[in-house]
Amino acid sequence: MTSVRVFFVGGLISFRALFGWLNPWVYIPSFLVAPIFQILLFVYIGRSAKLQSDSFYVIGNGLQYAAIPCLFAMANTIAGERNQQTLGYILITPARRLPLFLGRAIPVALNGFVVALFALVVGSAIVGTHIAASGYAPIAGVIVVSALACTGLGLINAAVGLVTRETAVLSNILFGGLLVLSGANVPVHDLPIVLRQISEGIPLTHGIAAARRLAAGSSFSSVLGLVGAEALIGLAYAAVGYLLIRGTETLSRRRATLERA
Amino acid sequence: MAVVEVEELARTYRTSTGILRRRTVEVEAVRGVSFEIAKGELFGLLGPNGAGKTTTIKMLITLLLPSSGTARVLGIDVARNPREVRRRIGYVFGGDRGLYERLSGLDNLRYFAELYGVAPHVQKLRIQELLDLVGLAGREKEKVEGYSRGMRQRLHIARGLLHDPEVVFLDEPTIGVDPVGARELRATIAGLTDAGKTVLLTTHYMFEADALCDRIAVIAQGRIVAEGTPQALKAGVGEGTVVEVEVYGIEDAVVERVRALDGVSNVGLEERDQKQVLVVQTLPGRELVHAILGLLGDSAVGRVSSREPTLEDAYVALVGE
Amino acid sequence: MRILRVLAYGWLFRMKMLMRSSFNSWLGVLYPLFFATIAFFMFRSGASSKPLLYSSLGAAVMGIWSNTATPAGSALAQERWHGTLELEVAAPVHFALILLPLTIAMAAIGIYSMVATLLWGWIAFGIPLHITDPVAFVLAVPATVASIGALGFVLAVLFVRFRQAWALGNMLEYPVWLIAGFLVPLSLLPSWVRPISWLLAPTWGIRAIRGAALSGPSYGDIGMALAVGAAYVVLGILLVHRALHAARAKGTLSLT
Repeated sequence: MTSVRVFFVGGLISFRALFGWLNPWVYIPSFLVAPIFQILLFVYIGRSAKLQSDSFYVIGNGLQYAAIPCLFAMANTIAGERNQQTLGYILITPARRLPLFLGRAIPVALNGFVVALFALVVGSAIVGTHIAASGYAPIAGVIVVSALACTGLGLINAAVGLVTRETAVLSNILFGGLLVLSGANVPVHDLPIVLRQISEGIPLTHGIAAARRLAAGSSFSSVLGLVGAEALIGLAYAAVGYLLIRGTETLSRRRATLERA
Repeated sequence: MAVVEVEELARTYRTSTGILRRRTVEVEAVRGVSFEIAKGELFGLLGPNGAGKTTTIKMLITLLLPSSGTARVLGIDVARNPREVRRRIGYVFGGDRGLYERLSGLDNLRYFAELYGVAPHVQKLRIQELLDLVGLAGREKEKVEGYSRGMRQRLHIARGLLHDPEVVFLDEPTIGVDPVGARELRATIAGLTDAGKTVLLTTHYMFEADALCDRIAVIAQGRIVAEGTPQALKAGVGEGTVVEVEVYGIEDAVVERVRALDGVSNVGLEERDQKQVLVVQTLPGRELVHAILGLLGDSAVGRVSSREPTLEDAYVALVGE
Repeated sequence: MRILRVLAYGWLFRMKMLMRSSFNSWLGVLYPLFFATIAFFMFRSGASSKPLLYSSLGAAVMGIWSNTATPAGSALAQERWHGTLELEVAAPVHFALILLPLTIAMAAIGIYSMVATLLWGWIAFGIPLHITDPVAFVLAVPATVASIGALGFVLAVLFVRFRQAWALGNMLEYPVWLIAGFLVPLSLLPSWVRPISWLLAPTWGIRAIRGAALSGPSYGDIGMALAVGAAYVVLGILLVHRALHAARAKGTLSLT
């Protein structure tokens, strides 16, 4: 049972302690206001370029914005501990590593879900796009999977952050990359072939595609393949990220690098 | 006219704690201090950490508004006319911060020279003179991030003197500096009054105050508890003797009994390396070594000595425990 | 005049400091490029009536705003962290003369991003860099930088009380991109947004820059950008008085 406790309690505590983003002065601007404006920005660009429908951009950007909390928070949670020098203390506890790190990941993914859902609902209300009634629940499910997938990428981000000391640069770059390549604004088939390949292998691409179909009224069973792909990608990234973090931990025990700020 | 006049200056801070139930705590940092500094004096504000030295100095240099009371520098009210005050004073504080790490020492000085209104045709010469004065000549082109603590302090002093202020306020200028470097800094500070400037220095190093200052005010818990020349302050405790007894683990009860002895004016217990030293200040003319040793009874005792009181003893007696 | 000296030297020193920070150089240039790339894809595929250079220039100026919006809010917090805020307040010079060069330097660093975006548009998307009126262009860019810097100055003073000022500044990144019409013609936005756009200096700046490049009126817009910028400076100065007084009364100048 201890592992379960470590999972839940530890995760929640570290989330609150390190995150600091639960401060309304940060949460509201960064997680609630910004995505709405991202949606508005691309909806209007789309109108100016006379390209896709408004709904295309609302869904694309709404989901894509989950990347912000998932990437940044994950990196902050783990690399931030290193900055506060509590990471060493945590790692000498006998707590098992998997629930330890997963416990930190779940609140992050949950937040990602909330942010994306909020952006989607409020964004479509403001822009005036319509989401098929049958689509709401399945879309919420898709957002959960996408948020988890982003968090998987976030774990890799965090692992790199442990080594490089500077988490913000990579986080921003990953966010930008996702914005360009996930099909949020530029349809995947419009991208050059090389980029298209990358697009297939990153989080969000399949989730966004699934959500768009669901909003148009498709059934959940028809998008199962996409959702499955998204889940698999997320799992793969999470596994890699987890291994990287363990690897960094082992490396640092040999070379005493974890405590260096 | 005194260069600095302080009358019943007081400052209370309000801080709030807690998120859901905000409680406001009021801290009286300075509770009505009054003193005057004459032209050309090196005046010391001596006190332990948290006594209110920095708060007092910040009010005088116009960074903080007093809660009550008045202060005038060169006859100008610090609260009402800060701009005029700022033109004529220099401010130097200790510590690592306060400089732009990525710029060179020279660039830092040039930036502040601009801010403090040093005329362009004067700048180059003045900066060179100051670099010579503080001993940084030759190293001014290096980035500050590579400077040692002592060098930063010296740069701070140079910066504080750029606009040739009449009054210089130094807030713990030698803190964190190695003994040799600190000695050089003190020599520089002493030179300031030779040049006709008036200096207010805050410090918690008694020997520094003793060595440098013409007059000292001892501040503790927001109030001035003594004021006078170093000699006068020493004289305050000067006439008794100080008995020092090395002990190895002594009970509080025993210390209290020593304190209660007739003729003892103050008792302190200091940690020195592996042992403790019981420092007993006695009134003049009393021979109490025997009585003290008697109270210590079976406890292990090392060296016993008797000496003249120093300013440190005066200070300890004044600021209490 | 001493004011000009203080402004000029302050700006020079701030530029030196900003250019020595690798975070600013790399990310400041890279981040707006992602958005520019998307804009280039969209406009290339789409049926917009404007030439591609229209959006390329718009995307290019986005970087100037990004480099100012987020750091400007926490400019004073940075000074506090350096320990230099007290020294600056204690200086006899007006505080605005210290803060304004700082925010203008932030905007000026954005020129790196502007150049990178224009080059990227040219190299990767074949967007030609044909400037019709080079003189106006050369005047329009610094005018835009100065006016955006002035807006940053207002933000710095407005947000001085907030520890999380960076989040508030960051929040304004997208809205200004949208409302100033960098990538979207103002005519597409709801009419009630128009007055807000007119009040934003970047709106006039991008109009001036685009006018110079695509043969349209420019000098009038340069003037407007500078005028709006001047209005910001006046507003900022008024707010600075109040903010500093409050800081001296509460004793928060040195707290981190």
